[in-house]
Amino acid sequence: MKGPTRLAIAALGAVMSLTIASSAVAQDPITIGYSIARTGIYAAAAPSQENPYKLWQKQVNAEGGLELPDGKRRPVEFVSYDDQSNPANTVRIYEKLITQDEVDLLAAPWGTPMHLALAPVLQRFKMPMVGNTAASVQLRNVAPGYIWFPTSAIPDSMGAELAKMMQAEGVETAALLANELPYSQEFRSFLVPALEEAGIQVIVDESYPPDIKDMTSMLVEVREAAPDAVVAMTYPSDAFLFAGQAKELGIEASFVMSLIGPTIDAYRKANGSAVNGVVSSAHWSPEAKEWPKGRKFFDAYVEEFGEEPDALDSALAYMSLEILQQAVAKAGLEPEALREQIASGTFDTINGEVRFDGVQNVVTPTGFVQIQDGKIELVWPESVKTADYAPKQGW
Amino acid sequence: MDTLMSGQLLFAALVSGSLYALVALGLNLVYGTLRLLNIAHGDLVMIGAYTAFWMISLFAIPPIISLVLAAALCALLGWAVYAGLFRRMLAKPELAKRVEANSLILFYGISVILQNLAALAFTSTSRGYQYLDTVITWQGISMTGNRLLSLGVATAVCFGALLFLRFHLFGWGLRAVIQRREAAQVVGVNLNRVQLLTICGGFAVAGVAGVLVSMTEQITPFMGFPFTIVAFVVIIIGGLGNIGAGILAGFCLGLVETYGIALTSPGYRSILIYGLFVGVLLVRPEGIFTKAVRS
Repeated sequence: MKGPTRLAIAALGAVMSLTIASSAVAQDPITIGYSIARTGIYAAAAPSQENPYKLWQKQVNAEGGLELPDGKRRPVEFVSYDDQSNPANTVRIYEKLITQDEVDLLAAPWGTPMHLALAPVLQRFKMPMVGNTAASVQLRNVAPGYIWFPTSAIPDSMGAELAKMMQAEGVETAALLANELPYSQEFRSFLVPALEEAGIQVIVDESYPPDIKDMTSMLVEVREAAPDAVVAMTYPSDAFLFAGQAKELGIEASFVMSLIGPTIDAYRKANGSAVNGVVSSAHWSPEAKEWPKGRKFFDAYVEEFGEEPDALDSALAYMSLEILQQAVAKAGLEPEALREQIASGTFDTINGEVRFDGVQNVVTPTGFVQIQDGKIELVWPESVKTADYAPKQGW
Repeated sequence: MDTLMSGQLLFAALVSGSLYALVALGLNLVYGTLRLLNIAHGDLVMIGAYTAFWMISLFAIPPIISLVLAAALCALLGWAVYAGLFRRMLAKPELAKRVEANSLILFYGISVILQNLAALAFTSTSRGYQYLDTVITWQGISMTGNRLLSLGVATAVCFGALLFLRFHLFGWGLRAVIQRREAAQVVGVNLNRVQLLTICGGFAVAGVAGVLVSMTEQITPFMGFPFTIVAFVVIIIGGLGNIGAGILAGFCLGLVETYGIALTSPGYRSILIYGLFVGVLLVRPEGIFTKAVRS
């Protein structure tokens, strides 16, 4: 190698190492790792979770970064991977995030199976993570330690609360239509005995496969039985089908519930005013005056993504990062101190106050929302409602 | 029992059946003439659905016009795939055999690429729009406008295709290629042209189906796969490469599904569909409506 070339390379090397060193001092971001289903069967659901992550990151960085106990702020950087909707991948990815990428903090993946698969990994590596989009009675059996679930949409309490709500609204007979997927069936298994206890008679009780393409025969049966309430335990894709065909067949029940789907922006865009009055599962509404952060989140989300956040998943995803943010401000990045803070602290979120006992949020009550004039209003329970429940007036 | 005899169920069965027939038609055309197993067929349905969604959301262009746009877009894609990938490969008989065997994997790749491109371009957030959702009641049958439109368009395209194959000179050429590929060339059928136009036509039909589906279902980058499966079930029941039989099989599947569910329960849907599928494969592997060809 000739002299000048060698010199040039040495100079380049020196400049490069200088750049890296100086950027490390100036930037030194806090890294937050997560995996999400960008492909595979859960992919359609994942943006409602990842969008709030991105919004939160943008907001935090605009304020100068994530605040630490000494008052200093450092920018937030995400390290994320596609888990292809496979819980086994989720486990591998989080192990990699912790051991190889050495991220400072963790955010949650999408979905119940991912959360459940992850709990022992977090325990093993002693890394705390606030969960979000998981809901199952199985969560109650997860050993407390390094994972927490802010959701209150857990099927056992939902079954009991819905029966109470239906009883309060004077429902005497009900038709149940349940998707065969686990969450719907779990909910159904708690709803049926609760309805019985509340003296509500179940006059139609059908389950249907997730790939159903036509509900006509089922809904004709419902129409002929003329129940006071129809509880459709839907997932998003069949929620669209149910709404369209219930309208076509003129289902006249005054109480209509669709379990998952109505809180998605596209559902209301596809069905318009026909779905006014449909009740769904969620414990957050941007309309709540007592939760001023909620409205701000809603407006920022609409501005950023051009659509409304999902009242269930998006709210939970954002809440989980708010909790993490407030815990880091008090305890810093050291995992044990952070774990202690999340486990014992009280947090102020878009969904109001959150506090954990074991793995569960013990403050946010199990609630139900209703679409009223295209808006998501909390109508149950009394303590947090943003509007009165109104019986459904046709489609 | 009243429900079974009502027009309501018949309407539902025809809406599903016509859509199955339409989706299967495109797949059958491509398989019949090019001997390619297009596992990305459902993803063309997805592209049709997104075309309708973006046209109505951004430019207020109604789906009835998007039918033409989606057909053109998918036809263009067909042209690109044929010109870019298959023309040269299919020209040599020994290579063509290998392509036929590997087409499943090749199209699987195309399917993954299309899905991920759609997810990158549009995000995987589900989409939906409102169109023709007024309910019309006729003779006690309630019909939503968009489902009626879907039935009309799907049926018209299927029967239009049948008439074209029966009476148009190009249709004869196409059928000749399906039945006796080498012989068709001998009598002067321009194989290259038939193959190109068929792949364009087959893709276009899938795009049309996508527009129809988008009026009633949620739109996501991953919505296509169930349509691929249904299309394969239909053309195997009807007989691979037999266009008319495939259309008939689509309608049959709609009837079996709807009335089967009404007679049993929705939980039996998969058993009914795949039961019919396996039954046909066992009893008449060449398809219910296909006369066995002795070679």
